[in-house]
Amino acid sequence: MTPETSSPINTLPPAAQIEQELEQKAFKLSEWMAQQGIFLFTAVLVLFALVFIDGFASLPNLTDVFNRAAPIGIVAAGMTFVVISGNYLDLSVVAQVATAAVVLIAVTNAVGLVPAILLAILIALVYGIVNGIAVGVFKANAVIVTLSTTFIGLGLLRWLTGGSIYFGDSDGPIRTFGTTRIGPLPLAMILFIVVTLLLSLVLTRTNFGFMVRAYGSNREATRLAGVNTPLVVIGAFTMSALGAMLGGFVLAAFSNTAVSAMSTGYDFRALAAIIVGGTSVFGGRGSVMRTLLGVVFVSVLTNIMVLSGLGFGFQQMAIGLLIVLAVSVDALARKTRVS
Amino acid sequence: MSDTLGSSNTGQAGSATRAPIIEARDIVKRFGGAVAVDDVSIAVEPGEIHGLVGENGAGKSTLMRVLAGVLAPNEGSVWVDGQQLDPGNTREALDAGVSLVHQELSLVPEMTVAENILLGSTPTRAGFIDRRHQRRVAAEALEEIGVTVDLDEPISRLSVALRQFVEIARAIARKPRVLILDEPTATLTPAETEYLLDMLKRLASRGLAIVYISHRIPEIFAICGRVTVLRDGSLVTSEGIGDLTPQSVVEHMVGRDLQLDLESRRLNPDIGDPVLSARGVKAPGVNDIDLDVRAGEIVGLGGLVGAGRTELVRAMIGADPRSGGQTTITLGGTSRRITGYRAAIAAGIAYIPEERRSDGLALTMTVVDNIALPNRSALSRSFVLQRRRIAEFATSLAKAVNLRPPEIEREVGQYSGGNQQKVVLAKWLGRKPDVIVLDEPTRGVDVGAKVEIHRLIRELADEGAAVLVVSSDLPELLELSDTIHVVRDGRIVGVLPGAEADETAVMALASGQQEVDVA
Repeated sequence: MTPETSSPINTLPPAAQIEQELEQKAFKLSEWMAQQGIFLFTAVLVLFALVFIDGFASLPNLTDVFNRAAPIGIVAAGMTFVVISGNYLDLSVVAQVATAAVVLIAVTNAVGLVPAILLAILIALVYGIVNGIAVGVFKANAVIVTLSTTFIGLGLLRWLTGGSIYFGDSDGPIRTFGTTRIGPLPLAMILFIVVTLLLSLVLTRTNFGFMVRAYGSNREATRLAGVNTPLVVIGAFTMSALGAMLGGFVLAAFSNTAVSAMSTGYDFRALAAIIVGGTSVFGGRGSVMRTLLGVVFVSVLTNIMVLSGLGFGFQQMAIGLLIVLAVSVDALARKTRVS
Repeated sequence: MSDTLGSSNTGQAGSATRAPIIEARDIVKRFGGAVAVDDVSIAVEPGEIHGLVGENGAGKSTLMRVLAGVLAPNEGSVWVDGQQLDPGNTREALDAGVSLVHQELSLVPEMTVAENILLGSTPTRAGFIDRRHQRRVAAEALEEIGVTVDLDEPISRLSVALRQFVEIARAIARKPRVLILDEPTATLTPAETEYLLDMLKRLASRGLAIVYISHRIPEIFAICGRVTVLRDGSLVTSEGIGDLTPQSVVEHMVGRDLQLDLESRRLNPDIGDPVLSARGVKAPGVNDIDLDVRAGEIVGLGGLVGAGRTELVRAMIGADPRSGGQTTITLGGTSRRITGYRAAIAAGIAYIPEERRSDGLALTMTVVDNIALPNRSALSRSFVLQRRRIAEFATSLAKAVNLRPPEIEREVGQYSGGNQQKVVLAKWLGRKPDVIVLDEPTRGVDVGAKVEIHRLIRELADEGAAVLVVSSDLPELLELSDTIHVVRDGRIVGVLPGAEADETAVMALASGQQEVDVA
């Protein structure tokens, strides 16, 4: 009809588009839960606590909740990079947090604050690079690798310290950091929020963060796009290591003491926050802000349990249950997406 | 539902009207608000090969999944031998003898042929796997379809074609009465396809009812006694093959006269000096290959599946390690050796891999993210992403490849196969590659997208890029290529100028009936 050379395809029935609309319109509860559920659940939980839990709705309690969440929150924010890169988790944060805490206090006592911080940074880089090379270059399983580096790191720390407790100077800079408030806000809590925002920007707005997300979504496609993928993995583990280091600093500052056993459970608690926030253990999906939300959720839940007089055992059980639920929803959402 | 019983007798082919073995009545299947299958009835008799055709997204696969009990319909019912099946009960459908050979291969790569054939119905004795029985059943099923393959070979070591046959053997091992095949020839070469079609005719002659889904009209006419055409989820027609012509089937599929200008070989390509050169390239499955692709030239690599074409191109560009030989890229008089994959990309190569879902795209990311992935360094100088520039860049590329709808913030996984492939192309077009290597660029892509992808490939060559295309789609290979290299057993066994090549010549070389000296 028209003599123009316009491609005849434009008039084909949009079969492909119908297919897409199917995908779009089909509402999948599991997908919605995995993506948006955390917003609803956090809101409901906070509302519930505000109304029903005595002692929750006070400024001192609320700042205390967030302040105490700072170490685990910073660790989780860093570990989010490893999870999004599709490498499950970084178990070695347990060793890294304790090492950073001990180094901060012991080396500050012996030499000074600045050498302590520099040494801690160096140690964090070693952790990030060793984990990253084993996983990214040698393609070893991240769970096994970081479990092993936990053993190496904790073993080394216990061997060197003999399991002793280090006390900081009672009016030194570490103590000051742990107790200072700006207005009503504790310094540690402010650091937590600043670090979260910063890491969030790194993940969403930088080339490096973009490559971490792409690698987590499809590592082969990312490699074939010409990306130096081993470097991406090393980078992700290094972010985790730096987060663990800062988390260790804050933890040490809170009590002004450090001991090799102080970070037990940090691996799992960080993972709980990340997964409950909606970051997928399959990689590629998630964000640091989601991890923040996950930290808030877990902390408020814990606080509710504490205020209700439920013991540590009960709290531990509840967190475990929460993770099983969250990963199941994540897997279910992935399944419905794929089919 | 009993008032629809009469509908089974309306078919005029085979006027004896044997009772259908399987019948779907008034099937409606919705996904959310959209209707995938809209009031479709279909009946298949024993010994009948029933063709099911339609464009991508017409509802063929959905209908078949309802038949096999994989999906429960919103309305309607499925009957086997006069018994109504429990909707969506896969087990019951299997027990009733309905076997579905999936479009996507569903074998376990690490397990052996025998183990895969009996996957899900592994025989046991006193709680232990009965290996002898397992091997016997597997051997029988393979014999039934006339395919010879080592029962103890892991699936991962088989070619794509053999995997497809093992998949069919697996369906046959269940002693089905109805066999449903969803585009079984998509990954097969012409010779393998012919073999498969003969096999299906043989199975049907023994009373098996077969539903055969295919995009390829000649196959439908080769074996089917009856054809049902779906369009946009509705049944357009269901007629005996004698009442149809290839043209009328295509018209039913697209709903109008189709005058696609598929035959449009480049007439006077402006071909320059060699740009991509391989010398003595060796890798697993690749034996000492020399190959040149010149500026402005489209070189096609033909051959059977498993001949080593994918391995060859991957070894050439460093995507997989080489065990010998070298590849160079010559541009503007200077030659650079390709030492590794990232060096190849940096030197101006673009590579579109065979498996777009597993190797080509990050499916959970958006179109813009996927397009940005190989282009970041070109788009941002600092380490911060320049999101607005990237978005503009992606928008213009989405337009250039005619992505529909052009929503760059949508996840790639939500697009259809044809659109996904356009995104893969868009990723690389933005780099203005000097060399582009495409492996099966239109596999599983609908006819409209295929024409557009061909247009893009020709445009690249017209602009002076050296283009290397691997394709098992013979018409595509003949139509695109200026020069065709035929690969067999990891060697180039013949070079044919595009203008002189035809299907017979390529197949003769590919199957080893004839060897031509490599010029």
